[in-house]
Amino acid sequence: MVRFLARRLAYMFIAFLCISLVTFMLMKMAPGSFFNANFQVNGVSAVAGSYGVSPQVMDALIKYYHLNDPWYVQWWYYVHGFLTWHMGTSFEYPGTRTVTIIDTAFPFSVRLALMAVATGVIIAIPIGVTAAMRENGWMDVGLMFFAMLGTSLPAYLVAVLLIVLFALWLHLLPVIGFTHPQDFILPVLSLALPMVGALSRYLRNSLIDSLHSEYVTGVIAKGGSLSRAVWRHALRNSLLPMITVVGPQLAGLMTGTVFIEEIFDLPGLGHYFVGAANVRDYPLIMDSALLYATVILAMNLLVDLTYGLFDPRIRRAGDLG
Amino acid sequence: MSMPTLKKRTMATLMWGRFRRNRAAVLGGAFVLFLILCAILAPVIAPYSYMQSNFLATYQSPSWQHWFGTDELGRDMLSRLLFSLRTASLIGFGAEAVELTLGLLVGAIAGYLGGAADTILMRVVDVVYGFPSLLFAIILVVMLGHSLFAILIAVAATSWVTMARIVRSQVIVVKQSDYIAAARGMGANWWQILRRYVLPNSLGPIAVTVTFGIPANMMVESALSLLGLGVQPPTPSWGALIANGEQAMFSFPYLLAFPAVTFAMTLLAFTFFGDGLRNVFDSKSMH
Repeated sequence: MVRFLARRLAYMFIAFLCISLVTFMLMKMAPGSFFNANFQVNGVSAVAGSYGVSPQVMDALIKYYHLNDPWYVQWWYYVHGFLTWHMGTSFEYPGTRTVTIIDTAFPFSVRLALMAVATGVIIAIPIGVTAAMRENGWMDVGLMFFAMLGTSLPAYLVAVLLIVLFALWLHLLPVIGFTHPQDFILPVLSLALPMVGALSRYLRNSLIDSLHSEYVTGVIAKGGSLSRAVWRHALRNSLLPMITVVGPQLAGLMTGTVFIEEIFDLPGLGHYFVGAANVRDYPLIMDSALLYATVILAMNLLVDLTYGLFDPRIRRAGDLG
Repeated sequence: MSMPTLKKRTMATLMWGRFRRNRAAVLGGAFVLFLILCAILAPVIAPYSYMQSNFLATYQSPSWQHWFGTDELGRDMLSRLLFSLRTASLIGFGAEAVELTLGLLVGAIAGYLGGAADTILMRVVDVVYGFPSLLFAIILVVMLGHSLFAILIAVAATSWVTMARIVRSQVIVVKQSDYIAAARGMGANWWQILRRYVLPNSLGPIAVTVTFGIPANMMVESALSLLGLGVQPPTPSWGALIANGEQAMFSFPYLLAFPAVTFAMTLLAFTFFGDGLRNVFDSKSMH
């Protein structure tokens, strides 16, 4: 188990380095730089002049951001800064460390994602149970039809459809703002509903498998009802493996929030990332991309670990090996 | 005495029979065909030019002249929707072709050769799999520009690994079967085996992956243009239409509703069609 973990962590670190290198290369290859776009035209500090930025200040800025160093030095500054959580200063928001931006924006995105997961699981359980208890009945077919609708639409499209339905047609829910609790209903729902589709489908299939197994026949034979068999016995065995479905969904949610934040104008990290990519704010691009990559890599690792943790067959094999 | 003639039952007729029974899949497939036709014929069937503004007819509600209304520049929404379908299809099918080529190459070579080639290729696949794909697409588009080709590359850049993994696992399963051993015994080389035996037998899962890959690519394309990183205006794209419709959604809700609903219908058609295909190819329920 320890050896497995060590190996996975090593792979994770290599993947992290590769991602950081590729992101850095792409970012550097992108035409235009922040200072070019904003301070210089044709190598002459034409606009910079109008801002009153002297060549000396430009030099100092370039030096401060290490922009004249060889690429591997620059790259290493970003990676080192990220790993030690001592990141650089943003271009777009001068004097603001990217840590400060990430510290306020990232928890916001995470909170959004966690609320969506919780909502998704809470909605998915009754749907999955109902469908499984009426296997192949009209209720099952109907619910699974809607689950399929959910899985095939991206969160941002669900968001727009919810806006059309609840805000434009029924005038029930607000679309703009992030101060009142009801402001979060639509963003959270639009992230949760695509997940409900996947979760309830998985839960239904795994419950049906359990309901056809011998221990459930045993429960029924001893006089237990179907609902008792489901709620007390089968669900317990089906809920834990669901974590392996929730994990990847959570990683997907992290990027899903980018678009939801854009649609609902929420100040999450995705919002800053898109802005940073547009104005070539190198430090902010690097740090937020690395953060997203780390979260996704960690999620994948966690999922692989929980597979072993919750499936006794794998766990036993791991103990022996 | 004449022999009773048996109706020829090839694999294809069997599959068609199974597919036809799934009403949602048939409807989805028919709608996908309709969409492809619309995308190809967009310049012919669009009632107006998608970029011709008409300042005497801005913000027209849906009417017989403009079925889906007009936008803030008086451009016909139906024409713009038809052309965003064209954009989405170009990216959807084009990126899928790139993914298929890359995935087939990498997956087949890794799966068939095994050993060190497999290990190295699959490590690369693992690393790319860990990439935050949408964020990566955003950076790529910023770098390569907003041309159709750049977006196509950005969409395909990370999603080919799914195909590579599926092809590899298929190849490994087929590789171990007896008919491959027989072919090898008769002196077929690895390329012949790959082309004549392995690929035809792994066609099912690949076809299903392609069917689900196309709408996934369309989603990325319109997600990019939702952020203002898609194809350059005035070329329309669903994402841009949705972002645009959002600006005046309280006064002119149809500008948001039509793009959203038609896009959702397109994605659903592909899903139902793909789901039907998956059932057809599922060998467990074949008997």
